[in-house]
Amino acid sequence: MQRSTLFIQGDRGLYRLHPLSKLAITGFLLVAAGTAPNLSLLLLGYLLLLLPLAVWSGLLHPFLKSSLLVITPFVISLAVIQGFFTPGQIILLQLGPFTFTLEGLLSGLTVAGRILLALGGTLLLMLSTRPDHLMLSLTQHGLPSSLAYIVLTSLQIFPRFQDRARVIMDAQQARGLEMRVNPLKRMRLLVPLMGPLILGSIVDVEERAMALEARAFSRSGPKSSLIVLRDSFPQRALRGLLLLGMLSLIAWRIWAVFSL
Amino acid sequence: MNGLRKEFTTFSIALMAVGIALNIGAGQIPRLVGLPLYLDSIGTVLVGVLVGPWAGAVTGFLANLVWTMTGLFPQAFAWAGVAAIIGVLAAVFGRAGWLQTFGRSALAGLITGIVAAVLSAPIAAYVFGGVTGSGTDVLVGVFRAAGLDMLGANMAQGVVSDPLDKMITFVLVWAVLLALPERFKARFGSAVSKRTTRSARRTSRRRR
Amino acid sequence: MITVKGFSYWYPGEEEPALEKIDLTIPQGQFCGVVGANGAGKSTLCSALSGFVPHFFHGEFEGEVRIDKHMVAQTPLGELAGEVGLVFQNPFNQIGGARFTVREEIAFGLENLGLSKKEMETRIAEVLDLVGIEELADRSPFALSGGQQQRVALASILAMQPKVLVLDEPTAQLDPRSTEDVFSALRGLVQRAETTVVMVEHKLEWLADFVDRVIALDRGRIELDDSPTKVLSSPRMVKMGIGRTQYTETAAAAKRGKLKLRPKILPVTLDQARTFFR
Repeated sequence: MQRSTLFIQGDRGLYRLHPLSKLAITGFLLVAAGTAPNLSLLLLGYLLLLLPLAVWSGLLHPFLKSSLLVITPFVISLAVIQGFFTPGQIILLQLGPFTFTLEGLLSGLTVAGRILLALGGTLLLMLSTRPDHLMLSLTQHGLPSSLAYIVLTSLQIFPRFQDRARVIMDAQQARGLEMRVNPLKRMRLLVPLMGPLILGSIVDVEERAMALEARAFSRSGPKSSLIVLRDSFPQRALRGLLLLGMLSLIAWRIWAVFSL
Repeated sequence: MNGLRKEFTTFSIALMAVGIALNIGAGQIPRLVGLPLYLDSIGTVLVGVLVGPWAGAVTGFLANLVWTMTGLFPQAFAWAGVAAIIGVLAAVFGRAGWLQTFGRSALAGLITGIVAAVLSAPIAAYVFGGVTGSGTDVLVGVFRAAGLDMLGANMAQGVVSDPLDKMITFVLVWAVLLALPERFKARFGSAVSKRTTRSARRTSRRRR
Repeated sequence: MITVKGFSYWYPGEEEPALEKIDLTIPQGQFCGVVGANGAGKSTLCSALSGFVPHFFHGEFEGEVRIDKHMVAQTPLGELAGEVGLVFQNPFNQIGGARFTVREEIAFGLENLGLSKKEMETRIAEVLDLVGIEELADRSPFALSGGQQQRVALASILAMQPKVLVLDEPTAQLDPRSTEDVFSALRGLVQRAETTVVMVEHKLEWLADFVDRVIALDRGRIELDDSPTKVLSSPRMVKMGIGRTQYTETAAAAKRGKLKLRPKILPVTLDQARTFFR
């Protein structure tokens, strides 16, 4: 689990909330990120909503680190592309026929702010929630258990494919497979490199499916759960409020668009 | 809805999980060989072709959610819908028998790539302000400089890179289908070779 | 009790049967070993006893397989899973539950059976002790060695309390130390004698020490079915391509070398060999 997901072990703040509550918070932040009218509100949202939640859960450092990792390429791309190509009056830089304007820069940074708030909410959810707890909370509310199984299993087995990829790479290089050939030849190399990996994984699926059947996976009838998720009335009320908030923001935005 | 139930056998559910793991784990192999491609829908296409449209759609959709959960590419979930459609297209081409020859597999990949590019562009343009946060943004910048608007530049960038990696993906699946052991072909429907083996013909003559 | 009557099976598209006219009765609580050369039908027999033939592999069959009151061919796999447990070679593929700790992995099958939390906890504790993996309870199943994973797989199946346990070469992919661990785990089960066990094994020395009875398959048919000593020392084992234990081979060679040795029946275990060579 350490290797394949963002989840970090902890027991404060968000960790004590039911997964659906955290999902509701993230959903609300996604909607807020999409509907906030300007950059200042977006930044305030990050500073006054996300950061305190991270601190409360003891996740400030990992949260800031992953926020930075995610947002930096966006900030750069957006500042440059929107700065140069979004129409504006106040010129900050002139490069040949291309003008870098303040309005463009602000426009780009606003989009970056939306992404920061939205992905920040997503990151916080992933950092503080065990994937299996999240899936359990969803199956208890109607998600088919086969879908939960698919998500959790793929999370657990993909590192093995990454490892196998490296092994195949090393084996081919040991056999003297020249890596510095032209691109066309390299593309043809992909078949002997990836073909056996894919074929082998299909054959393995048969055994995996047998193991599932041996555990009564296809049995009809209700399933129980060893894990018990703690929920509470205040949390359910909070989820209701957040849902209401999301719908209100969306409605307000639609109204704002139509009344222009 | 009966088709939906038929596609969700224990075997295909296990295959979908492996398909997603292939997307994330093996999709990077071209990069390791120095090619600027990610075959990040190899599993989706495989499942779509082998099982069907519902399975392909679910694989693509969940793959992007799982990708987000790994933290390797947190914005992945924004393209979950496009990934689902890739899975559906793979199933359509599979059932039409296109995955039985090299040429038509490549063409199927080309078409899928173009559709994927056209559908992804609005997401990049309107949700992410015209960028994806990856290296291809340089290309987007070039297209903007050439005079294309936001949507146009994103579409141009997509059309340059998407079809190639989808073509390679579909050709790879064609190659895998060729090498698939006989006993698996019975599980998968019309996408795999319809050529019956000699022993299969003998069986129908042997009994009754 | 397992009853097999006139059972023959053809994999889809195959002309030759993988199993041919199998007649077998295994009483409750017996530990039965199955040996045979590659392709003799051992895995197919395991699948037939656990319902994977015909439900999972499809194909065609004749005759019947019955586990207590269940006709295997007419009982869906989901229901059979609680009655017959199957453990096979590859440890990694059997960690199937998408769970993050061994405890929860064991619970996976029990959750599918719909057991109460209390019942699950009781069974998990029991099985962790029986198989000897208490120290692994809170570790991730994916961070374990092959031998450890195989024991977790065994524990997960045993927790479902099947009446019949089928093992298809459970130690084939394991090193000697892990093999020992798995057999130790099985020893606990054997002592209880509540479960009927059918085990396919190539490691004949190990088998001889455990089982009450050995069935030898050759090309889909049962060729030998008797006590371990009689079957494993039979010269037909060599003819069928199965081979014999090192004790048997040594004794046979000694006999051929005209050493003055009285007992007619060749030894198959270390203890028997000691007696034989006295």
